[in-house]
Amino acid sequence: MMANRLPWWVGGILMSGLLLLTFSIYGADRPIGASTYVPYAAALIFDLDPEKYSYIEHIKNPGSWEGVMLLGVLFGGFITSVFITKSFRFSLIPTGWKTYKNNSIISRLLWSFFSGFIMIIGARLAGGCTSGHFMSGMSQLAISAMIFGGVVMVTLVVTGKYFYNTKGKE
Amino acid sequence: MADVIFVVDDSNATVIDRVFQMVENVIHQDHGSVALVFLIGVIFGGIIQYTRVDKFEKIAGFAMLKDTIIPKMLFLTVGLTSIGLYFMIDAGQAHYHVKPIILQGLIIGGILFGISMAILGKCPGTGPVSIAEGRIDVLVGAIGGLFGGLVFTLYYDDIFKPLMGESLGKNILTDFFKGNEDMTAIIFGVVVILIAIAIPKRELFDEADLCQLPEDKRPNKKED
Repeated sequence: MMANRLPWWVGGILMSGLLLLTFSIYGADRPIGASTYVPYAAALIFDLDPEKYSYIEHIKNPGSWEGVMLLGVLFGGFITSVFITKSFRFSLIPTGWKTYKNNSIISRLLWSFFSGFIMIIGARLAGGCTSGHFMSGMSQLAISAMIFGGVVMVTLVVTGKYFYNTKGKE
Repeated sequence: MADVIFVVDDSNATVIDRVFQMVENVIHQDHGSVALVFLIGVIFGGIIQYTRVDKFEKIAGFAMLKDTIIPKMLFLTVGLTSIGLYFMIDAGQAHYHVKPIILQGLIIGGILFGISMAILGKCPGTGPVSIAEGRIDVLVGAIGGLFGGLVFTLYYDDIFKPLMGESLGKNILTDFFKGNEDMTAIIFGVVVILIAIAIPKRELFDEADLCQLPEDKRPNKKED
């Protein structure tokens, strides 16, 4: 019988194997990244002219690479959630949001939109995200990734402390 | 494959045409076949889903210091990969792709990223995995992200590029320990793995997920 959850250390070993495969010349000879596809998708959906906006030309290659990878991520995530973790269900508000923030779907959706917006601005300003900087960058011992990782960790925990109401709750 | 060319007339190219163009870009890039890149995505999404690290309770839970699976798994991944990658690059089996130290961009971007990661409870890699398992609120977050990407693209030259500042180089840790590069890489990797193990394990479970599993299969009912 297959387990429905994978322990963190098995996940870490598998993710490391995937990163090494992707980096290797027998794989993709590049790092894994997951935030460049967003402006690429924005240009694709809103039909922006690459001759007018230099950033589109700038991200053409990594953006399209990550775009194809994203299609795989959606497929892999869907199949795993249906057949292995059995966690597929439609939902508008996470259980943890109800426990530590509020019960309002409108509040959750507005905050989601807002945080999604600034998340991509932030990732593109820094030149990467959890995948590109934290995982791929730090694995190359990159100083840029260590600075980003440190700033994100501190800001994440400070925001968690002041944005949510955790007092007296398990 | 060189004669496979998607002729796209810009004036009335549809979104579908542009998706084909995206696939064609990957074919011409020499960073793995389209099938391999897709497969990397499938495995990436599968690992994230299977370990449940895409969950709000895991990421926002870490922000509230009520769940530590994210840092444990991240640090273990980095520690293992850093040692393996260092020697693969040394042997010519892989290359460096180091991002520049753009101090202002890293700090301002990191602050915006940390705030939004705590609120959304996702990042750009884990978000799609949650959307794939039916989380509508994350889809709304992704639409917000698309507009973020749009604004960044539109104002890149005027606002964001100057805000990122100049690059101070693409240094890596071993640059500061000349003569002891191998040892520096190994020590870094081992220390990061030890941090992953040393972080106390705390878990925040989501009852709404667990009740879809049979009673004896729920991870919160088992001692690990």
